[in-house]
Amino acid sequence: MKRFINDIRKYWDYILYQTKAELKTEIIDSYLGWIWLILEPLCFMLIYTFLAGIVFGSKTEYFPVFVFAGLAIWNFFNKTVSASVKIVARYKDIVTKVYVPKYVLLLVRLFVNFFKMLVTFGLLIVFMIFFKVPLSWNILWVFPVILCSVIVTFGVSSIFMHFGVFIDDLVNLTAIGLKFMFYLSGIFYDISAKVPAPYNNVLLCCNPMAFLITTFRNGLLYSTGADILVLFIWFVIGIILSIIGIRTIYKYENTYVKVMRG
Amino acid sequence: MKKKREIAITIEDLHIYYKDIKRFSIKKNGLSGLNATTFKAVKGISFEIEKGEIVGICGKNGSGKSTTLRAIAGIFSPDHGKIDLHGNSISLLSIGVGFQRSLTGYENIFLSGMLLGFKRKDIEKKVDEIIEFSELGNAVYKPVRSYSSGMYSKLAFAITAILETDIMLIDEVFSVGDIKFKEKSYNKMKELINDENRTVIIVSHSSKALRELCNRVIWLHDGQIKEIGPADEVVTHYEKFMMEEA
Repeated sequence: MKRFINDIRKYWDYILYQTKAELKTEIIDSYLGWIWLILEPLCFMLIYTFLAGIVFGSKTEYFPVFVFAGLAIWNFFNKTVSASVKIVARYKDIVTKVYVPKYVLLLVRLFVNFFKMLVTFGLLIVFMIFFKVPLSWNILWVFPVILCSVIVTFGVSSIFMHFGVFIDDLVNLTAIGLKFMFYLSGIFYDISAKVPAPYNNVLLCCNPMAFLITTFRNGLLYSTGADILVLFIWFVIGIILSIIGIRTIYKYENTYVKVMRG
Repeated sequence: MKKKREIAITIEDLHIYYKDIKRFSIKKNGLSGLNATTFKAVKGISFEIEKGEIVGICGKNGSGKSTTLRAIAGIFSPDHGKIDLHGNSISLLSIGVGFQRSLTGYENIFLSGMLLGFKRKDIEKKVDEIIEFSELGNAVYKPVRSYSSGMYSKLAFAITAILETDIMLIDEVFSVGDIKFKEKSYNKMKELINDENRTVIIVSHSSKALRELCNRVIWLHDGQIKEIGPADEVVTHYEKFMMEEA
């Protein structure tokens, strides 16, 4: 643990610089640059709004904003976890030449995606103004929910990152798992209304993303508070996962390079 | 050596195995698990290097030279034995130091520097010197993937040469760039090496470089130390050995 704090302090500059550099190249490298950051979630929002709102006739209030808010959190989790599986291979050039705690690379990815999420939030605010969503103090729940999402995401990714080094087709498995989770997280439908009891409650408690997204939206759009106990439990689970992940990485990271060799 | 000097690196009974834990694929192997065949790259080498010393490592391909260097740099963990750097900072210079191809050379200077443990401010002070030495000019603001292999190595060399660490590990870099740059880097290397406080380990196949630059040479054979001693002596034996084998 002490080592973790020291390393974070030591590599903090690096993490920030690397994050900035990667964001810059990602933005410069694509033709539409900045617009992509906005265009991508926007397009998906339109697709899901069309699918659920028109094809399946969903009656959820502020539906486009509902979808958009869900996508913001989901994309952050999804992109970070799926990147984590092959992250050591991605930074092969660095990893084979210099020692760096491997979760530092994961943190860079996490920050890149976090920044993208912030951009999406900016857009979300514009939408909320546009749809005249009424606000209440419950909106403050957004912050602990975001914090909890970051921790859970880091915890899950750190473990996937470790196994991703050793297992070749974990990429495919994760892709399937994430897709499955996507449909179970109620991005474009309201779990508590659409899923029959008691399954809806089970889903909302056991799937962290479903819970976090729902809580996020409740605070943001529907002036409803959070289930503090469940939020706290996921917070703790997130931290435990992170500790396990970091421990495992510290223990095995110096064998990663040997595996990468082949 | 007149008086007893500080020890910079201690290596005790170093073993490194490649357990051949291939990345396995569930699709291919089922869950049959890891059938590890062990390949021993380094089998129990021990030596000490004094501060300010320049040590060469020679040996034929596959004798464990690069593996040893990487272990000293902290990239591999030893499977057995100990490596003690006595708190010195260390950098590994090898062909194509870890650059990220989509980022610019300028950004890579900072990133590499930070990974070597330098503070941002220190790098800012030296960045102009690095760019000048690397002879890249304005190309430094272009993505590294657009570089020729020569430019790539020049930049790599410049970073390690200008950002000075206590211990430098050098893996076959005397073939960097064109003749002019080669000369320049060779001279810079000499200059760096003459610094009393810098400890250097060089891996090279060039007998000339080993003879000229090193105080001592370690001859690795099959993961073990075959001979260790004054540069001239060891290199002569090594050359003779290689001639006989050929």
